[in-house]
Amino acid sequence: MELFTPSFGLVFWMFVSFALLFLILWKFAWPVIMKTVDERADLIDKGVEYAQQAQLQLENAQKSGEEIIAAARRKEADIIREADSLKAQIVEEARANAKEVARKEAEAAKISIEQSRKEAENSLRQQVGEFALDIAQQVVRRQLDDPKAQQALVNSLLDQVEKQN
Amino acid sequence: MKKVITIIIIGFIAGLMAIGFSDATAESAQEHAETKIDPKEIIFEHLGDAYGWELPFNHHRRIPLPIIVFGSDGLHCFSSARVAHGHEYVDGNTTFVVPTEGDYKGKVVEIVNGEELVPFDVSITKNVLAVFITIALVLWFAFALVGWYKKNPYKAPRGTRGACEALVVFIYDGVIKSTLKDKAKRFAPFLLTVFMFIFVMNLLGLIVIFPGGANLTGNIAVTLTMAVLTFLVTNLFGTKHYWKDIFWPDVPLWLKFPLPIMPVIEIFGIFTKPAALTVRLFANMMGGHMIVIVLTLLIFIFASVISVAVGGATAIVSIIFSVFMLLIDVLVSFIQAYVFTMLSTIFISLAQEEGHKAHDKKEHTEIQHLATSETN
Repeated sequence: MELFTPSFGLVFWMFVSFALLFLILWKFAWPVIMKTVDERADLIDKGVEYAQQAQLQLENAQKSGEEIIAAARRKEADIIREADSLKAQIVEEARANAKEVARKEAEAAKISIEQSRKEAENSLRQQVGEFALDIAQQVVRRQLDDPKAQQALVNSLLDQVEKQN
Repeated sequence: MKKVITIIIIGFIAGLMAIGFSDATAESAQEHAETKIDPKEIIFEHLGDAYGWELPFNHHRRIPLPIIVFGSDGLHCFSSARVAHGHEYVDGNTTFVVPTEGDYKGKVVEIVNGEELVPFDVSITKNVLAVFITIALVLWFAFALVGWYKKNPYKAPRGTRGACEALVVFIYDGVIKSTLKDKAKRFAPFLLTVFMFIFVMNLLGLIVIFPGGANLTGNIAVTLTMAVLTFLVTNLFGTKHYWKDIFWPDVPLWLKFPLPIMPVIEIFGIFTKPAALTVRLFANMMGGHMIVIVLTLLIFIFASVISVAVGGATAIVSIIFSVFMLLIDVLVSFIQAYVFTMLSTIFISLAQEEGHKAHDKKEHTEIQHLATSETN
């Protein structure tokens, strides 16, 4: 049967054409296609790897950023606490100083008050003595018999003294 | 530009159909009465080769193709239209004829002293032209892809180019690389060419009108050539270990000496592999074509034997089944091209075994097992 006996002409042309097709594709097509496909696959692989690394780096950056922020917070808190204690200390010192100064001033004031009181007492005593002497002189000089007149005199003198003070 | 080409091609095919159809209607009016259906004849005519390419709707008008023969007195080259319908043609001093019956039915013969002699025939027949068309298509696909890559090296192609790339990558990564490993680069061009060639041939065979319709991969000459090429590649590039395994395999001594039982089996195996390739592709594709033709013929057989009404009813069923079969054949086209390529790859990889380590041997038997199971 013709169907099962290969005809020479067809085998010949088949062989020639296939050889030609193979040579052309082998030289000009398949290397380019295979190379490009491989390169593109590599490119995609690299892209994925790069993206993964970038993701990882981003995560790391976020983590380290958070760490830095946390550290800064801690430092801030420390500084505030230190400042607080310093402030308290300063205030305490200032208060102590002020107390000391006030105490000293108060003492000084007490001393000077005491002094001036003493001076005043002294001068009062002197003046009272003088007035008493004055009054006594007048009384003695007039020598009035009338006790009423004496009394009036004494009163006027006392008024005088009062006015003077 | 693309649109212009498409329109020209469609116009050309439509023109062919119109010529065929008008001729056929003119003829059928007078010939209708004496038409007798000979299914066997019709089937084998459609499955076989021819010196002209039938026009659609028409059984008589053919596109003439060149006949090239080396007769008893040298080269002869003439159009097949001259020997159509059993006419004798005298070229120089030699008479040629295509007998309509006898031993050389449908073949160009030379008539010398009233006897028929078969010349050395390398005519551009229907199948040869179909091979050329296939090659043009494969080249077009491949270089469309190459052109795209040259323009945009890192961009995935779309459309037809994308489909081509998907096919190539599917075969290259899925079959060639995974089987041949580091030797993939060396054999990939051959195997990829084989795949694309067979695939396009298979699909072209399914198109019923002009650029297709030749039962190419259902022709044993075509599949034999492909298998022989695989055979040559397998054995010419075979390693020492491969040949050692054939002539002095790792089996008990009594199996190879004094009676070389295993070597004989192995040598036999060298030839059964391409034979299996040949027959598988041939039988699958021819079977598909034959079923579709038979289904179509059923309509006419029933119409002529019983009645036109029964023929009409058969037509509906037949067409449904034909379409179904053609769709399956599209799948089969791909599967057979794939299987041919895969088996070729496996045969080549078997001949590439270096076999220094123990695990190589294990792999070897595994692949062989796979190959034999595929062959069955």
